[in-house]
Amino acid sequence: MPWLKLERRIAVVFVGLVVLVMLLMLLLVQRSGEHIVAVESQRQITAGRMSFEALVDQNRRQLELAATVLSRDFSFREAIATQDRPTMISVLQNHGSRIGAHAMMAIALDGRVIADIQQAQRPGEAFAFADLLKAAEADGRASDFVRMADDRVYQVVVVPILAPVRIAWIVMGFPVDHAWARGLAQSSGLDVSLIDAAAGRVLASSLPESRHAALAQAAPGVKDMSGELVLDGDHYQGVALPLGQQAWVILLHSLEKSEAVFKELEQALLITASGGIVLFVLGSLWLARRIAGPVNALAATARRIAAGDYSDPVAVKSKDEIGQLAASFENMRIGIAARERKITRLAYEDTLTGLPNRVRIEERLDSLGPTAEAAVVVLDLDRFAAINDALGHPVGDQLLRQVGARLAGQLPPRAMLARLWGDEFAFLLEGMDRPAVRAFAEALLAALRTPMEVGGQRLDVNGSLGIAFHPADGSGLNALLQRAELAMYEAKRRQCGFMLAEEVGPGPLPEQLSLIGEMRDALEKHEFILHYQPKLDLASGCVIGAEALLRWQHPERGLVPPGRFIPFAEHTGFIREITPWLLAEVAAQTAAWHAQGLDLVVSANLSARDLLDPGLVVLVRELVASHGLPPAALCLEITESALMEDPTLAQAHLEELAAFGVKLSIDDYGAGQASLAYVKSLPVHELKIDQSFIRSLAGSPKDAAIVRSTIALGHALNFAVVAEGIETEADLAWLRDIGCDIGQGYFIARPMAAAAFVDWIAARDLAFPGM
Amino acid sequence: MAALDAGGAGFEVRVQSQAGAPIEDVAVVLEPVSGRVPQLKAQVSIEQRDREFVPYLSIVQKGAAVNFPNRDTLKHHVYSFSPAKTFEIKLYAGQPAQPVVFDKAGEVALGCNIHDWMEAHVLVVDSPWFGKTGADGIVRIAQVPAGRYRLRTWHPRQKTAAAAQEVVIGATPARRTELALDVAPREPRHKPPADSGSY
Repeated sequence: MPWLKLERRIAVVFVGLVVLVMLLMLLLVQRSGEHIVAVESQRQITAGRMSFEALVDQNRRQLELAATVLSRDFSFREAIATQDRPTMISVLQNHGSRIGAHAMMAIALDGRVIADIQQAQRPGEAFAFADLLKAAEADGRASDFVRMADDRVYQVVVVPILAPVRIAWIVMGFPVDHAWARGLAQSSGLDVSLIDAAAGRVLASSLPESRHAALAQAAPGVKDMSGELVLDGDHYQGVALPLGQQAWVILLHSLEKSEAVFKELEQALLITASGGIVLFVLGSLWLARRIAGPVNALAATARRIAAGDYSDPVAVKSKDEIGQLAASFENMRIGIAARERKITRLAYEDTLTGLPNRVRIEERLDSLGPTAEAAVVVLDLDRFAAINDALGHPVGDQLLRQVGARLAGQLPPRAMLARLWGDEFAFLLEGMDRPAVRAFAEALLAALRTPMEVGGQRLDVNGSLGIAFHPADGSGLNALLQRAELAMYEAKRRQCGFMLAEEVGPGPLPEQLSLIGEMRDALEKHEFILHYQPKLDLASGCVIGAEALLRWQHPERGLVPPGRFIPFAEHTGFIREITPWLLAEVAAQTAAWHAQGLDLVVSANLSARDLLDPGLVVLVRELVASHGLPPAALCLEITESALMEDPTLAQAHLEELAAFGVKLSIDDYGAGQASLAYVKSLPVHELKIDQSFIRSLAGSPKDAAIVRSTIALGHALNFAVVAEGIETEADLAWLRDIGCDIGQGYFIARPMAAAAFVDWIAARDLAFPGM
Repeated sequence: MAALDAGGAGFEVRVQSQAGAPIEDVAVVLEPVSGRVPQLKAQVSIEQRDREFVPYLSIVQKGAAVNFPNRDTLKHHVYSFSPAKTFEIKLYAGQPAQPVVFDKAGEVALGCNIHDWMEAHVLVVDSPWFGKTGADGIVRIAQVPAGRYRLRTWHPRQKTAAAAQEVVIGATPARRTELALDVAPREPRHKPPADSGSY
């Protein structure tokens, strides 16, 4: 599980760091502990040594004082002066026991012993430590550590007996034994040992007996002793001092004592660190879970969003970075949802009225299932093209919006209203029987009869309805629309408001149906052919292009005039099946001519339905690309009235085509009522003056004036102007003279098959070389 | 000073150290080699003043009685353990009732049992002709009858005793006799201030 991984990683990093820190700390404590122990033990030794020396000196002074006091005792002096030995010894014993001095002697000035309480030396013998007396004579007193006859070491002092001149010496001594060592050890904080270096013997020590042997082993090297000494496994640091003639004092400091403090500290630290690490593991796991939990929740949300579910808000609500991330996620979710709604709306919504579009209603119908009862109601406004022509398409657009709003107001439950194109709306009604649908149709027509207020004008709007039922009249929106449209046209023709498709017949009227069927056959059997009429550059006399014209070579009826089937094809929508074939044919032919060196611009006519078909632009692009044509080799001619069906959508498609590079031409200019202002805003290149004006040039000075001014206006607006229907040489000459750019007409050439067109050009080149 | 004023010539001695420094308080005694020694009847006092013996050195003829007047307001306890004269005058003030008679020739060291630093010396001699050097190291013994004498010198802190030497004293004053002596300096001893005990 990913969260577990993240959690583990966080915990490992945290715990790893804390273990590292703890280890470093322990190491530091251990290191500094060792250092402090070393320094501290050195300090202890230095301090202990000073203290030891001070104590020894103090003992000496105490002895001296005691001896001096005794030396001033009148009776004692009297006993000395009178050589009264028993009294002398008695006094010495008495004083010795008072101060704990075990050695007490009186020595004559000549160095002979007068009295000795231990009786170790007989009276009259020479005092064993003549040096001491000599020192005392020089300095008035003397002290030292000496080994007496009892083989024990004493700290002794020698002071004179004055009466008031010196009459004898007193020698007093404390034994230097284990008790002495322990006393000094207690006061100095160091272990005190006295050893006989020469004999390798411990004379006195505060250490336990068990260590004396080990201590004695260190005796020979005592003079150079420095640093550590190991006794019985315990580490000591020490210093050796000479004491008296032969003895050495070793002052020892036990490192274990100093180290014990740090051992305790280390142990406490180890316990604390272990506890800390455990707490840290738990804490970091908890923290990691706190981090990973919301991250996991965010990941789940992200997966839902990726799957297209934007409904659930992001649940994480905290004030930390995760919270901020969650907030960003929430903003992203809202943003994506909003954009998707917008995209959906663009895809499914008619931008003019805000109603669903044809795609949307088609999806809805498809979603109902093949057996669902539904009705498709098609509404087409009467005279809308005329309103658009007369009042301008902004007014037309406004009218469409109002109509849309009014229709939406009539919408029953479980129904959908869509704008298909131009002034054609469609309802999809679910679960309504025929009487209910009829009633609905009546209500719609009634609602439309109330006049509309558009741009300050009252407009009477009427519409005709055609109704087809699903699944009775067909399945699929196209089939149902076709049936409904046929019914609607019939209602329009009869001016009866609405008609049901089933009343009009199971399909189109028999005559219409047969024509549609024949046209479908014609497409399959290649009975449709294209004829090309040359377009002449009037100034140079060169053929610069051709207009492709649709012809039907009927096997029985011969050549069917275009007026007999093209309007019907446009009306029934069958034209949308013809146009793709026609454009493909034109593109192929153009490419063939270009391959032969004939750089012609070939025009094709588009009906209103073609123009409003969103697939048109795509088709043109594909054709141009597949034949490797320059886009400008194709010219699309659109009539004014086709433009006025849905000027906004028409303009949008034209702009796409113009941007692609295809040439655009307004056909039959002057016949409709498109305002020049509107035309001016279109991205077209050419105006084709309606042939009715050209045919009456000779007879009607008014038409001549219209043609002249139209050419001038066209030029002013940067359009090339085409005159079609030129039938006389005079017309041609006149048009050329007034500056018309391009001419087309029977006088130049009739429309002809593509093969004939090439021959015609070749023949013309022979007839008019250089033109 | 004590001198027999029976006519005769004066005798002068100067004592100095090996280094040539004059030595004070050197007892110089002329003992007649033969003949009778007259007994002086001199009154000798060794005072205790300011917790010191004054003088430091006294020379008396054998049999002389010495007074120990205490001039201090506190008491003293004068003693001597010297074999020539062992005595003690226990705590007393003013004039002791009896003088101490020094009836044996010899050196007597005097001390005070309650003031350890107090020290005085009495040299008991068997001759009336003696004197002690002053700060200049010179002593003059007047009116010594002509004759042969043993010249003896002594100092309380002398390191070695000087051997006696014979001198002949004529009618006319003789030249000054020069002597050398090795003397230890007086040991300094602690003497507390006087008012420490005046409570």
